[in-house]
Amino acid sequence: MLLSDPSNFSNLSSHELRAERLSALRQGYRAVLPGLLALIVWGVVTGVAMVKSGLTEQTATVMSLLVYAGSAQLTALPLILSDAPLWLIFTAGLIVNLRFVIFGAALHPYFKNMAWPKRLALGYLSVDVAFVVFMPRFSDDPKKGTVEQHWFYAGALMSSWLAWQVSSLTGIALGAIVPTTWSLDFAAVLALIAMMMPLVSNRPILVSILVAAFVAWITQPWPLRLGLIAAVVAGSVAGMWAEKVFRKVRT
Amino acid sequence: MMTDDWYVYAAILLLALCSVLTRSGYLLFGHLMPLPERVRSALRFAPLAALTAIIVPELLPWHAQYGPVLDLKLVAAAVAVWVFTRTRNALLLIISGMIALWLMRWIISF
Repeated sequence: MLLSDPSNFSNLSSHELRAERLSALRQGYRAVLPGLLALIVWGVVTGVAMVKSGLTEQTATVMSLLVYAGSAQLTALPLILSDAPLWLIFTAGLIVNLRFVIFGAALHPYFKNMAWPKRLALGYLSVDVAFVVFMPRFSDDPKKGTVEQHWFYAGALMSSWLAWQVSSLTGIALGAIVPTTWSLDFAAVLALIAMMMPLVSNRPILVSILVAAFVAWITQPWPLRLGLIAAVVAGSVAGMWAEKVFRKVRT
Repeated sequence: MMTDDWYVYAAILLLALCSVLTRSGYLLFGHLMPLPERVRSALRFAPLAALTAIIVPELLPWHAQYGPVLDLKLVAAAVAVWVFTRTRNALLLIISGMIALWLMRWIISF
């Protein structure tokens, strides 16, 4: 449905356009391939974790298909299990997904010329690995919003979506077989750590994480896991403060 | 322990809404809302702080009566992080952490 536009068949230039789209689509798919390995591991782990932490296979499948956001899903699991209020689950999901707002701000110049339903779809399907291959490739392009850019991104997104859903559903099936004593839910925690590690790239971020960790540790007796909010606020403030301090030291 | 189905489905729908709002929001309405620099810089720290806050109670849980307890998972996570700093490999981080946890449990069981 994405590839064909029958009204254009007679026209030679639109023939070339189709070839250009297809080639960009393929390039996007190829560029994202290395990232798909991480995505597949992450998907299997998330699938297993959802079932192991008490979701039924049915709810886990619906969650994977609709939410399509590993870190938000893993974040929500302990909250759902401790019967946290829905507003807190929603807030936690928003916070964990905040990085996508930053992605969106970076992607906006490339896609603002698209019709809004396409922007809605491309945005909803945006994942880290696709963003990570898209930005370095096109950030120096003087022209933003080209056919090549749109279809490259679409190619990266489609293969990411497929890899994620297949691996996640595999994980859900595995979760029913693997015994609980293996503590595979711990693999989900490790996967979250694996996701964080490459992002700890400077000292302000490290300070922010240490402060958030300390606050999250001492606020555990708080009800409804509200310590989560306190840790995010404290961590963000500490990070901004540390950024200012380290900048002063350098100059 | 199985929680109510409607509660889980409500949580799933809200999380799906989170995905749409955060991912498509800026692409749809970006022209209406330029992000101020201060907000932008705070947004950079919030996601990692949130992930940290989710992980910490799993590694360093508090017991209802005795307060903080040391869990083997903390040691296993430390091993995993050490392996990652050596290899920069996410898959090895997960595998080494799981093996460390299993090994320690096995040793303690004697």
